Amino acid sequence: MPDSTATLTRGAVHRSGRGGWSWFARRYGAILPMAPGMLFLVVMSIYPTIYSLVISLFRWNLSDPTRMRFGGWHNFGLLLTDVTFWNAVGVTFKFVLIAVSLELILGLAIALLFFQRFPGDRFLRALLILPMVVAPVVVGLLSRYMLNVQFGIITFLTEALGLGRIDFFGEPNLALGTLIVIDIWQWTPFMFLIMLAALQGVPEDIIEAAKVDGARPVRIFFDHILHLIRYPVAVAVALRLIDAFRVYDIIFMTTRGGPIDVTQTLSWQIYDAGFKSLDIGYAAAYSWLMLIIVVATVTLVLRLLLNEQASR
Amino acid sequence: MISATPAMPRRSPLRTRARILTATRAGAALIVSLLFFAPIYWMILTALKSGNEAFKATPSLIVWPDFENFALVFTQSNFGLALSTSLFVSVTSTVLCLVLGASIAYPLARVKMRGQKHIAFWILSLRIIPPIAVIIPLFLLLRSVGLTGSIWSLVIVYTYMNLPLTVWLLRGFFADLPTEIEEASFVDGAGRLRTFIGITLPLTAPGLIATALLCFIFAWNEFLFANILTGAATRTAPVGLTEYVTPVSVEWNKIMAAGTLVVLPVWIGALAAQRYLVRGLTLGAVK
Repeated sequence: MPDSTATLTRGAVHRSGRGGWSWFARRYGAILPMAPGMLFLVVMSIYPTIYSLVISLFRWNLSDPTRMRFGGWHNFGLLLTDVTFWNAVGVTFKFVLIAVSLELILGLAIALLFFQRFPGDRFLRALLILPMVVAPVVVGLLSRYMLNVQFGIITFLTEALGLGRIDFFGEPNLALGTLIVIDIWQWTPFMFLIMLAALQGVPEDIIEAAKVDGARPVRIFFDHILHLIRYPVAVAVALRLIDAFRVYDIIFMTTRGGPIDVTQTLSWQIYDAGFKSLDIGYAAAYSWLMLIIVVATVTLVLRLLLNEQASR
Repeated sequence: MISATPAMPRRSPLRTRARILTATRAGAALIVSLLFFAPIYWMILTALKSGNEAFKATPSLIVWPDFENFALVFTQSNFGLALSTSLFVSVTSTVLCLVLGASIAYPLARVKMRGQKHIAFWILSLRIIPPIAVIIPLFLLLRSVGLTGSIWSLVIVYTYMNLPLTVWLLRGFFADLPTEIEEASFVDGAGRLRTFIGITLPLTAPGLIATALLCFIFAWNEFLFANILTGAATRTAPVGLTEYVTPVSVEWNKIMAAGTLVVLPVWIGALAAQRYLVRGLTLGAVK
């Protein structure tokens, strides 16, 4: 960072005299190690950003021999009037909002179970956190195996319960719900871990004081604890939102956007446009709209979470 | 309000009540944990089943372990190669991440500079960009330098993907270290670099290891970039898994064995890093 003047906080020897290598080393030596990493980050982030902004303004299909033509806002106009785009927006929001809110509620509930120690809690916690480190590709395969209409274990259970065979991925009414349940299975442990850490960070004297005042546990939870853990909650929700918008691997392994278009998320459609239709100008415009949607949603949800709590 | 302390005889019913409550919580926690663990158990169980046992009408919940599927995964396909590719890519990108990350994080934590906060938050903001949104430009960039299909394209992308996390975590670990310890070393006449290597790094080792494990897990599990940037000879384990599923033959025992092989290393890693998992997953925001 050439624009930043470094003053060494500790251990620096300031001698007079400037100019030459030794002056440079003394002045910038402490921050010089940052250069390679920062350069790498700048190249890898700025270049794709600018590049995709530029190509989003072009009509450019890799399979088209006439190649690039400037299109202005053509791609964006095409997208905003396209029903499949709005379908993907709807599907993605349904997926993200339902999954993340249920994960938060379940994670918090399970964290309350684990809040006070009991024999064997460490072992159970170790079992509970496993789903979130399973590669999403494996999750996709495993769910396909378990939900298989012919021999899956879940089919065995639904038949035993008298519900018959259910095609969870093939039924248009069920496919998205099934993906949401899978996401909840994989990511509730993440919420649980953070909520548990958050609860353990609540100062005990506040809870004690509320108890002395004669407040019931339920009231203590809603009046005090929920307010005290709002920052960890906000961080966890923001991170989950960011990741839920990315959902791709599981769809790739299971429904591939189908049946019809009920699991066509934004990520899936961008992949489809860029790597199947090779329409990369369109895909780049799509990427920009998606980025705007993600940033806007995360900002809005954070504001809601932190303001609503603060106004109490 | 002053509540009287309960007299001796009243203590025991209270205790019994507390015990019942604890037992109820423990029971509920057990059921929930088993529910979440059940699919993983089912995967490992299927991997250990022999032949047609996986397709039996009445599924068995306990089997005599048969490691044939694991052997077949290595002998009948290139999955062993895919696993070693994954290992190489994940380890290399993790090492690069730690080296680049520490050299950004340490000055960010210790040296006063203009725009410090802005730099830190700019790095954090990179985390919000969906990978799918940058994959086309990255693909074209890597193709123009002839790196698509090469292992190194993945090393580069994973290093980039995990660097923001690494910087934020390491910055926190370095900042947590009391400056007095480093000052003592300066007084002894050691230079900044020697102090960093001899004092700072050893003292923050647990944090460094936890960060490394997280980087490894994220790189190991990644699929989107791996699927697009690798060629036939350089596919990683998650990509290799997809090839087991063909319309013609779906050999679930072997798929589950391969899946278990993918999950096992990160499981061990996650359990080893458990103490730092929360901090790592929230980029240091929750300790």
